[in-house]
Amino acid sequence: MRSNTYTLLFMSTITIVLGFLLSITATTLKDRQERNVENDIKKNILKCLNIPEERDQKLSADVIQNLFTENITGIVVDYSGNTLRELERGELAPKRKDQLPIYTYKVNATIKGYAIPISGKGLWSTIYGYLALEPDGNSVKGITFYKHGETPGLGGEIEKEWFTSNFVGKRIADMKGNLIGIEVVKGKADPGDPHQVDGISGSTLTCKGLTRFLKEDLERYDPFFNSIRGVTE
Amino acid sequence: MSLISKKTQHILKDPLISNNPIGTQILGICSALAITVKMDTAIVMTLAVIFVLSLSNTIISFLRKFIPTRVRIIVMLTVIASLVIITDQVLQAYMYDISRQLSVFVGLIITNCIVLGRAEAFAMQNSPGKAFLDGVGNALGYGIILIVVSFFRELLGSGSILGFQIIPDAAYAAGYSNIGLLVLSPGAFIILGLIVWIQRTISKVEEV
Repeated sequence: MRSNTYTLLFMSTITIVLGFLLSITATTLKDRQERNVENDIKKNILKCLNIPEERDQKLSADVIQNLFTENITGIVVDYSGNTLRELERGELAPKRKDQLPIYTYKVNATIKGYAIPISGKGLWSTIYGYLALEPDGNSVKGITFYKHGETPGLGGEIEKEWFTSNFVGKRIADMKGNLIGIEVVKGKADPGDPHQVDGISGSTLTCKGLTRFLKEDLERYDPFFNSIRGVTE
Repeated sequence: MSLISKKTQHILKDPLISNNPIGTQILGICSALAITVKMDTAIVMTLAVIFVLSLSNTIISFLRKFIPTRVRIIVMLTVIASLVIITDQVLQAYMYDISRQLSVFVGLIITNCIVLGRAEAFAMQNSPGKAFLDGVGNALGYGIILIVVSFFRELLGSGSILGFQIIPDAAYAAGYSNIGLLVLSPGAFIILGLIVWIQRTISKVEEV
């Protein structure tokens, strides 16, 4: 049996050497990792705004960066719908909770759509995504979900095209401009109802959660979108 | 393979079929079920385990004469955990999408019984060279099962291989549909059970 001093010394050496290695790895790779996360967020914002229009191609990191800087400008609004400031270059989302980011898609100074982050509880996990609205502040342009821990094949289907494409063209507010939200119904949606989309069988709870947090997030943004709706109609 | 002697060849080859860590010893089942929905994740996971297991075995074997017996498990886990974190960091930096799909399961290589098992059972008694081969062999044995399971799960569950659609659209039009069960964990259990059965029949393993 070795002495206690030896054991302590041995353990300290091992810990210091390995700790050193780990910190080197972490610091050298940090920039790259942060770029990946940022790129992924940008990719999803672009995707829900339907940029580029042909979907099948895989976009490289550079292409995503370029598309984003060319097309997207960000603004920050507060709970009453007042524009506080523009998002700074490289800043993707404000740190403060009471500051809401809106990503605006502009082509030659004409607004083509707005994207907002959405998130909330599904069945097992917090679901994160983006919702894009048309310039009228009412019709849905697209929706994406990029991070969730729902059951693959059931609730996990929310990220699939067949589900998200159902949202396109639906409306979040009624004729008078009051916010209704979009309900993911159990089974088939009523084709005449602009506020309903088809549910996923076997994942009622994921869909219920989705309906709820979509409404909550839209309510937070409603002062802003309500003012837009007022202008266009 | 004349460069390596018969005995060393066994170190590398045995864990592939006859003493497969998943098939014979039923180790590492958790990740084998979780990340075999698609083939690409299974392949990356295999590479990650090859990296961790071969290096952890080699390092432990180098240190084996210096490690105080009382704290050997702690030393092994420290080495393994460090290697796993490095792997995870590299994946996050260079294969972001796959690392997202593997999520916690890269981190869980630390608790994969195969890694600690080989360190304790082999690396502590053998020279670094042999320990390295043993690590590669066992990781490959684990990986083969992963890849076979994911092959069937992706083909029958999603109709594709490595993300490319294999089942033609005409088949779907004619009423064929993917087996949804295989995408879920119970489906993995069934496939894995069948593979363990086949593997045990081939290598004539019998429970005592």
